[in-house]
Amino acid sequence: MTTPATAVELPAKSPPSRFTIWGSIAAVVLTVVTAITVEFSFLEIVENLFRRNLVVEGLLRPDISQIWSERSARAFVETLQLAILGTASGGVIALPLAMWATDFGNPYPALRATVRTFNAVVRSIPDLLWALLFVTAVGIGVLPGWLALFFFSIAVVSKLTADTLDGIDRGPIEAAQASGASLTALLKTAVVPQILPAYTSFLLYGFELNLRASAVLGLVGAGGIGARIEFFRGRGEWSEVWGLVLMFFLVVFLVERLSVSLRRRLV
Amino acid sequence: MIRLVDATVEYPNGTRGLDGVTLDISKGELVVVVGLSGAGKSTLIRAINGLVPLTAGELYVDDRPVHQMNRRQLRDLRAEVGMIFQGFNLVDRSTVLNNVMMGRLHHLPTWRTLFSLYPSADLDIAAESLERVGMLERAHSRATALSGGQRQRVGIARALAQQPKVILADEPVASLDPPTSHAVMQHLQSINHSLGITTVINLHFLDLAVTYGERIIGLRDGRVVFDGKGSECTPAVFEGIYGRSLTSGDTLSDEAPLG
Repeated sequence: MTTPATAVELPAKSPPSRFTIWGSIAAVVLTVVTAITVEFSFLEIVENLFRRNLVVEGLLRPDISQIWSERSARAFVETLQLAILGTASGGVIALPLAMWATDFGNPYPALRATVRTFNAVVRSIPDLLWALLFVTAVGIGVLPGWLALFFFSIAVVSKLTADTLDGIDRGPIEAAQASGASLTALLKTAVVPQILPAYTSFLLYGFELNLRASAVLGLVGAGGIGARIEFFRGRGEWSEVWGLVLMFFLVVFLVERLSVSLRRRLV
Repeated sequence: MIRLVDATVEYPNGTRGLDGVTLDISKGELVVVVGLSGAGKSTLIRAINGLVPLTAGELYVDDRPVHQMNRRQLRDLRAEVGMIFQGFNLVDRSTVLNNVMMGRLHHLPTWRTLFSLYPSADLDIAAESLERVGMLERAHSRATALSGGQRQRVGIARALAQQPKVILADEPVASLDPPTSHAVMQHLQSINHSLGITTVINLHFLDLAVTYGERIIGLRDGRVVFDGKGSECTPAVFEGIYGRSLTSGDTLSDEAPLG
């Protein structure tokens, strides 16, 4: 016996929510309005590309000899030093700052709110702005570069560490509290072992970011390879600029590969 | 040793963990607390070491008023009260020894803790505690490498390392299989007998309660509804505590040793 083929119907899909509809419309409108107001034009880009352009010509014949120039090499070492020093100092400060912003790491609500506000303020200032501030405050050189990376590292590492702290196992914390441990002893024995691999990986990640940032910092006078790039740029010697950029690219690439493989082992 | 007078704990949402509990637990007693979940067993244990503050009434441990203690005094009290948890609460990534050393933290200066420079006297205490629960040879293993029963024995060793006057155990065998549960309970019993440490254990398996509880306290809705010897506990008594007839989920073994 055959049963009549009654079509099985799927229940009707619920229509997109009002939020989805208006959100999508807003996103499109915002993009179009922005493009118009900044006078974005593909034509202009194409026109500029085919004009005689010294920057692009320099790119075609980068001056590799910059790699062996003593002053450039010294600037490079300075950049590496800046990145290492900035990451190490900022990263060390970031750990307690992240822990003092948690409910178990800080039993005083007012102090907790203060630490959280400080962290939020530090995070909201971009690395270049830090550099500008410190160049203005302490003058041109390596010091403002270090200070900028110091605060930038605090921002990056404390943010990532705070997110990790949100997800740790609360059991050992309760055990430490129940044994009468002091706050510092609690953090050292019940919290730090849980976040140590992630934290170390954040330090390496912070180092990667700092290395890249330290190139830009030089542009505003905060030392390192950026200062050297800015020097050649100012003189319009684009072959030299591109030689340095190429060298920088290689170093960053190598350091990142190393850092990524180290981080993989940690987690 | 432990004295509660009209002790009440009211949580912010209005529920009462403890409702006018008056109790006296003498030195060296082994007390098992039974009751349905939500009856106030955990609240009682956490009130004794001040993890949950009383909202009314009085609570004394060793004649010291827990309900009047400040942060510092509470830490001093907790150093003398070892606690054992259902979920073991070990630091998984740390070694067994480092977990047990947590029991010594209160006695160590902060700088020693920061650099893990533990004095040999404290390490000896930790080793002794591990030896007592038969876990000494695993001292340098990571906690993750252990089975549930072994983890709970490390949890007991951590409490012992405090050289406590009181041991509180909150559902110590709820995550363990039956043979392991008995092994852990026997460890707690032998520690109570040989060291004379006052011990309060929350259990929800009634056959375990009868086997190990020299004194049994029944809680229902935050109130003490039974307080007597384990031998006095008939199924009718437990049905009174639970307010319903008993099921197979109320005992650890499938047979009915209570009947």
